[in-house]
Formats: sequence, C-alpha cells, structure tokens
Amino acid sequence: MAESGSSVEFSGSLTLPPPRTRIFKIIVIGDSGVGKTCLTYRFCAGKFPDKTEATIGVDFRERLVEIDGEKIKIQLWDTAGQERFRKSMVQHYYRNVHAVVFVYDVTNAASFRSLPAWIEECKQHALGTEVPRILVGNKCDLQDSIQVGTDVAQQFADAHSMPVFETSAKNPNSQDGNYGGGNSDHVEAIFMTVAHKLKSQKPLVLSQPPEGSGGTINLSRVRDDGGDGSRSWSCSSC
Amino acid sequence: MDGGGLPTSRVVSALAMRRRFIVTTTAQEPSCGRKQKLAEIHQALISDPVDIETLRRAAASKGGLLTDELRRKVWPKLLNINVYKLPHKPGRDVRENHKDYNQVVLDVRRSMKRFPKGMPSTERAVLQEQLIDIILAVLKHNPQLHYYQGYHDVAVSLLLVVGEQMAIAMLDTLSNYHLRDFMDPTMDSTKHILNYLMPILEQVDTELHDFMIRAEVGNIFALSWLITWFGHVLSEFKHTLRLYDFFLASHPLMPIYLAATIVLHREKEVKQTECDMAMVHHLLSRIPQDLPYELLIGRAQDLFDQYPPSLLAKRAALQSRKSLSISTFQAFQLSTLHQRPDSVLRRLTKAHGSSTSKHGLEAALPRDRGQLWGKGNRMVKMAVWGLSATLGAAVFAVAHTAMDWGPEVLLQLF
Ligand SMILES: Nc1nc2c(ncn2[C@@H]2O[C@H](COP(=O)(O)OP(=O)(O)OP(=O)(O)O)[C@@H](O)[C@H]2O)c(=O)[nH]1
Ligand SMILES: [Mg+2]
Repeated sequence: MAESGSSVEFSGSLTLPPPRTRIFKIIVIGDSGVGKTCLTYRFCAGKFPDKTEATIGVDFRERLVEIDGEKIKIQLWDTAGQERFRKSMVQHYYRNVHAVVFVYDVTNAASFRSLPAWIEECKQHALGTEVPRILVGNKCDLQDSIQVGTDVAQQFADAHSMPVFETSAKNPNSQDGNYGGGNSDHVEAIFMTVAHKLKSQKPLVLSQPPEGSGGTINLSRVRDDGGDGSRSWSCSSC
Repeated sequence: MDGGGLPTSRVVSALAMRRRFIVTTTAQEPSCGRKQKLAEIHQALISDPVDIETLRRAAASKGGLLTDELRRKVWPKLLNINVYKLPHKPGRDVRENHKDYNQVVLDVRRSMKRFPKGMPSTERAVLQEQLIDIILAVLKHNPQLHYYQGYHDVAVSLLLVVGEQMAIAMLDTLSNYHLRDFMDPTMDSTKHILNYLMPILEQVDTELHDFMIRAEVGNIFALSWLITWFGHVLSEFKHTLRLYDFFLASHPLMPIYLAATIVLHREKEVKQTECDMAMVHHLLSRIPQDLPYELLIGRAQDLFDQYPPSLLAKRAALQSRKSLSISTFQAFQLSTLHQRPDSVLRRLTKAHGSSTSKHGLEAALPRDRGQLWGKGNRMVKMAVWGLSATLGAAVFAVAHTAMDWGPEVLLQLF
C-alpha cells in the first residue's frame, strides 16, 4: 500500500495471464523493520524502494516469472511486523499459502530471537514442515553492525530444517565473494529458489499439474544474465 | 450520536440530539457559498456557549473547514479542547524507557511521504522529532493505551496543521475516544469495528457483497483506512485534511461508512475482477487518488443515517463485543456542548494568571486539569455503566462529566 510505485510492480500481470498459469503464494513474515517490504519490492520491482512505510495489515505484490519454460505467477504477501497485527489481522492470509519466508535482520538480534514465535505462529495456521520454508537474514550490507552471526543462523535453520540465506535488499550483490557476486541479484535468486522448490513438488492446490519432473534445479536456467547465480545455490539445502 | 449496541429507545436525550443532527445535516446545501460558510463558522465560534452543532455541520459539509487557519480554531472545539490550556512541549523524559519507543522511531523515520514535498529536509527532520515526542507524550500520559503502526499517520496529520502542543491535546482526546478501540493490547476490538463493513455493503448491494464473500477477500484491505483515518493511503494531504474535518465531527464508526462508500463506488471494477482473494484485495487496497470525496462523504452520512451501527449490530453477529469508542461517544459529544468561546477562555485564563513555569507533560496540562483527566475518565466509565443501567443515572453521570470539563469548574479548582 505504501509504495506509490506498486502499480509498476503489478503491471506484469495486468494483462490477464492464460487461465492455466500456476500461482505460487508465498507469505513473508518477521519482526517490524527487518525489511520484508524492501525484499518483496526488490523482487517484484527489481530495485530497492527509496522510501518504505510501515506495512499496515497485508500488502500484496506479484511477478510473473518463467521457470523451465513454464510461466508462473509468484504472489508475495508482505505482512505487518508489529506483534499486535499478527494474531487477529494477518491470520486470514495464511490460508492456501504454498511457502513461507521468515525474515530477520542480521543487525538486530531481537529480530532473530523472535523467530521461534513466528515459526509457532505458522504452525498454528497449519503451516508446518511440509510447506517449504526458508529463512532470510537481511541487511547484510551493514557489515559493521552485524549482531547475528552466520553460524548461529545456520544452526538455527538446521534445527528447524530449513535453508538460510543472508542477503541485502538494499545492495544484494555486495557480499564479498560469499554468494556469487558479479551482477546477479541475490534477492531474486532466493525467491526463485522457493519457486523452483514449489515447482518440483507434487501438485499442491495449484490449477495445473506440474509438467516435467522435479529433479535437480539449476537456477541459472531461469536467469537471463547467465550462470553466475548458480554457484551460490549449489550449497543451499533446498 | 448513536448508542451503538445499546437499546436506543432508552436513551431519550441522545435520540433527540440525533434527530436534530440529521435535520441540520440534510438541510445544509442551500447555503454552501464559501463566504456564507466562513461567516457561519465565525459566528459559531464566538457564540457562548460555542455553537458546536454548526461547527460539526460545517466540518462535514461541502469543502469541510476550508482553511488550515479555521482548522486550528475549529478542530480543538470539536474535541472540547481549551487552546489556552495546552500541554507543554514534551521534555526529554518522554523518550526514556518506553516500551514502544523503538517502534515509534522506526515508523516515524519511515514516514517521509507524509510531509509536504517541497519541505526542506532539515525542517522535516525537526518535525519528525516532534512527532516522536508527541506520540510518546500521549502514550506516557495514558499507560492503558498501546501504540499501533498507523497511529503515527494520525499524529502527523494533526501536527502539520495545529503544531506540537495542540497536536498532543488533540491526539490525547482522540486516543481516548475515536481511536480507543485500536489501542487495546490486541487488535480484537479493531477487528470488531472492521466487521461492520460487510453488513453495510450487504444492505446496499447484495450482489457486490456476495461477490466479495465468494472471493473470501476479508476486510483487511480497509484496515489502514480505518486506523489512520485514510492518512496512510492518500497521497494528497488536502484530501486527508478534508476527511479529518469530517471524521472529527462524526461518530467513531464513520470511517467504516466511508470505506463502504468507496467500495460501493468501485462496484463495477470489483465485479469485473477475478473472483479471487488476492485479486480483489489488491484492487481494493490500492485506493484511487481521484475519488469524488464530497460525494462520498455525503453518501457515508446517508448510509450512517439509514443503517446506524445499532441496526447493523442487530443484524450481524456484531453484538458480542463492546466497543469503547462507541459506548463513550455520547458522553464525549455531550461534553462538547458547554464550551466557552476563545475570547472568554483567554480572559479567564489571563485573569487567573495560570502558572506556566512547570515542565513536562503533567505540568503542561495545568495541574488541576491533569487530575481532572483521571477523574473525567472515571466519570465517563460511570456514564457507560449508567446507560446500561437506568437512564436517570446516565444523564446524571454524563452531565457531570461534561461539567467536569467545563472551564468554570476547572478554574474553581485552581
Ligand atoms: N541497510 C539496509 N537497510 C534496509 C535493508 N532492507 C530494509 N532496510 C531498511 O530497513 C527499514 C525497514 O524496512 P521495511 O522493508 O520497511 O521493513 P518491514 O519488515 O517491511 O517492516 P514492517 O512493515 O514494519 O513490518 C527501512 O528503513 C529500510 O530502508 C537492507 O537490506 N539494508
Ligand atoms: Mg513492511
């Protein structure tokens, strides 16, 4: 709601896609200020928003992508982070969700400590381990103020059997060599990983059975800008 | 004006008041000339007691309160605020150990869009700091109230028009009345208020209503409209101000009625959308910036008169919960009936040479007023109990409350 540029993000699908386009619904949750709006905006509009505002309730963004020749609509539900909105407000939007992205802020330990509560929240809405879930540590560009180390995050993610990614919505290519680098957009790659994972799964409540086999995903295939990104994904547990 | 879930037949005085209100609001148009309206407002402001009915009507009718200068005069009257007894500027202490401090700072720092485009960033930065202070000052003064994201959108709209001190006074009153339901520890009461939306649509356009039910769109698309009085979603500040004029003069549920008129206004678009939660939510939550506000405001008033909250509450499963904003509204409105015009207030204030040497918010509210606030709140509670008990008790309690807030009583206590 807050971004006036939202019509731009949405423009890709204003012309109704063919009826059988599959839709992947992904909900993005985590404490207020961790960067959920920036991450979803980055993925859907391709840039860091110059201004975000507090998300009140639920915002919705989407983008049409092509994976292995199939057009897929990725729907991101960007939720309010303040605790009081969680229980009564956002609950409606947990329904029919295909995947969950948990976000914390690597420069804010409290946002990391809240994760168990968010995971619990998901469980209460019947989104357990059978639904693909990933953990994203945002604001990696702020190297000098990191409070949550990679190892701690990795341990936590392992314990909850989900992959973890550290990134930055602001400057997604800034990680020193860790994640491919080059001109690949790391945030995009993260959401695409989720999409690949979903595509590889058995049909969910999707409008069309998946064509072809799940198999191993080579992320670089969906990218226009070559194979740089693939390196970063070989290590992910997705 | 309306008793909400209360059996209205018992609240005789309120009903009478309500009738008068309807008559006057519907008879507004002939005299809509700007000059005439200015004259009416000025006349109402110098009447003794202040002619609050006329001010309310002016705020709701075409063009609203016209200028910011008038808003600075009329807004405080709509909320029963004595502009000569404003809270002091908040001291540093308001920022110390407040549980919502971080959230407030985070939201205010991100609220750049709420400030006029041409404003120099240094000036904006000063106002943002003031914004943090006024929010925390009001929260500190009302420990029972809880900050919500969006509260800052209300605060900034007030601040930009009336300045820091009056914004504190106004925000304090609004928080205890119109916005009260949103400030509970949870959002359950807010959800309750949102649940009035679909029943209104059902009354007016069953087909649209059924479409939205089938889409399972819910009502969260209207959440930010409600709790920020549309401040969060309108990009033109003048439209926000127009709506604030209207809401300050209306029942706390009026934003829901306006939300309904907006959805109804977009009926065709909605029905043409794919009947799917995401699509309908997306369409509705992006509010068009060129809405015909005057038309919609008029319709919202008509809807309110036709389908008052009490009626909706009976039809829908809305009765189970008590809304503080609704149940205290009568007492609040009655309290606005006994205000003296500013000229008198100024004289009285001067005559008593009220001391202004204290600091901090408690001192900022003249000491006795500070105490009265507490007392006033208790009286309001009493009024609510009274209404649900017997009419006699209610009228007594309400009248008492109103008197508590009257300046004469205040001054006697110095
Ligand atoms: N340096 C840096 N700042 C970021 C990054 N992502 C977001 N931010 C900033 O963090 C603040 C919060 O970002 P949002 O995206 O609005 O946070 P949110 O999680 O959507 O917050 P809520 O809507 O309140 O739940 C903003 O000031 C952003 O500019 C990042 O990757 N790096
Ligand atoms: Mg957000």
